[in-house]
Amino acid sequence: MTLTLVRKLLRDVRLTLFLVCLLLLLFQVLWAKITQRITEEVLPQLINDILKDVPITTLLNIIFKGPGKIIETLAGGERVDLTRSSDMLTIGYVHPLVQTIFCVWAVGRAAGAVAGEIDRGTMELLLAQPLPRWRLVLAHFCVDLLTIPLVCLSLWAGSWLGAAIFFVDWSAGQGVGAMRVSPLDLAPGLANVAALLFALSGFTMWLSARGRFRWRVLGTAVFVTLLQFLVNVLGQMWDAMAFLRPLTVFYYYQPQQTILRGKWTVDLGVWNGGQPLLAVPAAAVLAALGLAGYALALRTFTRRDLPAPL
Amino acid sequence: MLLHTERLTKSYDGFRALDGLDLTVAAGEVFGLLGPNGSGKTTALRLFLGFLRPTSGRATIAGHDCWHDSVRARLHVSYLPGELRLYENMTGRQLVQFLEQIRGHSAQRDVDALARRFDIDLERPIAHLSSGMKRKVALLQVLVPHAPLLILDEPTNALDPTMRDELLGQLRAARDAGQAVVFSSHVLAEVEQVCDRVGILQKGRLVHLQDMRELRRGRLVHVRFGGAAPPPPDLPGLGVRERLDGRLTLEHGGPLAPLLEWLGRQDVADLRVEPLGLNAVYHRFHGAEA
Repeated sequence: MTLTLVRKLLRDVRLTLFLVCLLLLLFQVLWAKITQRITEEVLPQLINDILKDVPITTLLNIIFKGPGKIIETLAGGERVDLTRSSDMLTIGYVHPLVQTIFCVWAVGRAAGAVAGEIDRGTMELLLAQPLPRWRLVLAHFCVDLLTIPLVCLSLWAGSWLGAAIFFVDWSAGQGVGAMRVSPLDLAPGLANVAALLFALSGFTMWLSARGRFRWRVLGTAVFVTLLQFLVNVLGQMWDAMAFLRPLTVFYYYQPQQTILRGKWTVDLGVWNGGQPLLAVPAAAVLAALGLAGYALALRTFTRRDLPAPL
Repeated sequence: MLLHTERLTKSYDGFRALDGLDLTVAAGEVFGLLGPNGSGKTTALRLFLGFLRPTSGRATIAGHDCWHDSVRARLHVSYLPGELRLYENMTGRQLVQFLEQIRGHSAQRDVDALARRFDIDLERPIAHLSSGMKRKVALLQVLVPHAPLLILDEPTNALDPTMRDELLGQLRAARDAGQAVVFSSHVLAEVEQVCDRVGILQKGRLVHLQDMRELRRGRLVHVRFGGAAPPPPDLPGLGVRERLDGRLTLEHGGPLAPLLEWLGRQDVADLRVEPLGLNAVYHRFHGAEA
């Protein structure tokens, strides 16, 4: 019964899933090209022909001062070394466009899970069968478990493909210093990507289980997600807002830290005046949020009335 | 009893959509729910299916509570929604197969035979079908599982007269095969044609239960007198429906001879006798709404 539902749900999303995966893959290929162009052509030329004795860090400090700070924040903060190919490549995992695609996929799919079926009127057809409501939530959970790895793998495949096309000796991680690129190093960051997708999906699933109209659920989920993104970005730029960052999912989305420094935790030090407070596993927090969303969705959906379609 | 309700009530913010419904439907019976829009028909059907949680009271299907044990209750039910929406990205066959798999059935009993009978092309995507055709596909998925109880919400909507007759025939066949049918409708003629019993709802309350065999025994007697209409006699099963100057309309369900004897003694200018019909009963509760 659940398998039948999962097959049907996968069939429903196959085109969107393909497009999302293709977009992510192509973007990562493009990002590899941008990385190669900046680290192998633009920066060496800048350093050798224009800056000469001035260190590159001085130039970057000027660029990322004031309004430029937002660019640095969106690129992953000051701990990312833009002169290194491996660091530059990780920006492809936190780029706003990539995060937007993540949101479109996770929020868009989950918004239709319950509210969409009610809105379309097909929920009646489904639940007129001897189908327990929890099985529908379980089927969506299974679809998440199957599709999220695909989304992550397409992201990773894009990095491999881009590195293969644009970097010399990429597969061996050869080259020295700035030129060293090994997409294999990006793999640990995918756990964080998957956890973010699951958290967004779980939260939206809960909204969907409460809702009646897909577009209303979608609008609410997009608003809440955008608000969290904005709060997280502003919190990085403006210390007075920093305490709000741990309340957003994006605070725990740190694939660059995992990839570049092998750091799997984030510290809640912003609640302690910048001093270390409590290090929490970032991906686990996101996964727990996703699970909580699903648990709430299950509780809500199994107890609610199903209104007649309008 | 296959379907049984006890004081079944559903309220929304103080508004009683269904108020204390007591009803039983047996296997091999066709039961019609009648009433204008907002009378509680669809609410009752949705409570039977476990879509809504009763505010108070309960409904059971084959002994299983429709809310607390809804899945087991729905094992005995096939449902046709009033507002029909199907998965448009499937073909008719895919839809029937999908719903059968959800039910845990793999055999596609009768699908092709029914499809031929209903004149449906099961290989066409549902999105490409007319509303009448979609209705036929939905009816097919209701009839295929041979569930003990068929619940149909205004099933003849969007059907052409031929298909409507076919459907009513299928409902009779289902009854003859021991299945029970509960359906709501606005069309009194079709309810009259196929139902064994009818419940009339008014503002969420079941105001009348009508045995159709009894109704078929009844008649309406329209009499025009030469002068003023005399007071009607005190006869068993006789009631006055309308009295206007020299005209009298009587509802009569008793033996005919005493009435004819009384009429023979009156100055009758014209006399017309017709079957009582559901319209007259419905009219009692819903007036011009009928």
